[in-house]
Amino acid sequence: MELINVLGLDIKILIAQFVNFAIFFFVLYKFAYKPILKFLDDRKDKIENGIINAEKAEQKLLEIEDNEKKIIENAKIEAKNISKDIIDKATIFAEDKKVKMIEKAKQEIKTLIDQEKGSIEIQKAQTIKEIKREIADIVIASLEKIIDKKLNKEELTKTIKEISKE
Amino acid sequence: MEGISLAPQVLFYIKSFPVTNSFFWAVFLSLFLIIMHLIIRIRLKEIPGRLQNAFEVLIDGSYSLVKSVMENDKKAKKALPLIFTLFIFIMMANLATFIPGQSAISIKTPNGNVPLFRAIMADYSLIFIMTMISVITTQIVAIFVYGPFGYIFKFINIKELKNFFLELLKGRLKLGLLGQGFLDLFLGLMDIVGEIAKIISLSFRLFGNIFAGEVLGAVFLFLAPFIAPLPMQFLGLLTAIVQAFVFSILTLIFIKMAGDIGPEEVNS
Repeated sequence: MELINVLGLDIKILIAQFVNFAIFFFVLYKFAYKPILKFLDDRKDKIENGIINAEKAEQKLLEIEDNEKKIIENAKIEAKNISKDIIDKATIFAEDKKVKMIEKAKQEIKTLIDQEKGSIEIQKAQTIKEIKREIADIVIASLEKIIDKKLNKEELTKTIKEISKE
Repeated sequence: MEGISLAPQVLFYIKSFPVTNSFFWAVFLSLFLIIMHLIIRIRLKEIPGRLQNAFEVLIDGSYSLVKSVMENDKKAKKALPLIFTLFIFIMMANLATFIPGQSAISIKTPNGNVPLFRAIMADYSLIFIMTMISVITTQIVAIFVYGPFGYIFKFINIKELKNFFLELLKGRLKLGLLGQGFLDLFLGLMDIVGEIAKIISLSFRLFGNIFAGEVLGAVFLFLAPFIAPLPMQFLGLLTAIVQAFVFSILTLIFIKMAGDIGPEEVNS
């Protein structure tokens, strides 16, 4: 029991030390570690959630970017198709119109030519007629000169006219 | 050099209560740590400041260590406050001895000149109390896990002896069971010795280290006051933290072992 004395073990001090330490522990437990641990846990959760959310957001962003690209590509293809359609239609239309115009022009030209031909024919006929008449006149004159007054003038004209008619 | 005494010296009396220098500083340190903790607690922020950051590193590291030993999140949360309190209290008490100029101040008391400062952990009564808290906590955990009767029969293990006598009543003599029974009884009784040994080993390890450090420091300071004590001081610094760590981690391991159910107990 001498050891106890040497070590200074006194029941009063022991009790006091116990009370001291108990209060110390209790206060730290109740007012420090419990709330601090809870706080740290909460923050950990928060950070975890934050990271998960950030990852999700990133994924979503990637998805959206993907979709955007797809949409743009689709739009491009559609636009291409539409423009091609329009151009095709326009080309066909133009071709059609061209053909029609050419046809019309041809027709017009043809009618013009026909008309011209008609008038030329008529002129030709007239010319021929005139030529015939003139020839007839010349022939009559020359015949008058040749035959002189031996033949009846009226009869002769009649005969020539008949001849020229033939 | 003043006489080296194992016991802390009495500074003054409050009525008949002797206030020793170690006890005085223990109370002072407790108050200081409580205030520090409360400050940290009140100023808790999402984005930690410097003080909070340092504290968080400490408590986070302790938590992961306790968790790795307890292998259970819930148990770790229950054990951590006690373990961490022990750790920070012992560590700060040990580190406080490095505040320079302490040993120079002594005050006059009716018992003669008494140094005002004394290493808090060089007071066996405080260490004894802490050890008792540690060991009793261990026993309480064991009682919770095994149940009161299971706890008692862990030390007074007569299961196999009972089996032997039951067999004997049926007219069968099984000497193997008898031998096993006596062995179990003996081992159970040895466990009691083990529990008591825990108190002594745990408390005297810390007390011896710190007290020896103090004495060594004093001796060196007396023999060669310049430079020579420095290596000892560095060693002391190491001891201060290591002993705090050892004490708290041993408490943790005792609690863990008490809470563990061995394979035999699981079967029964």
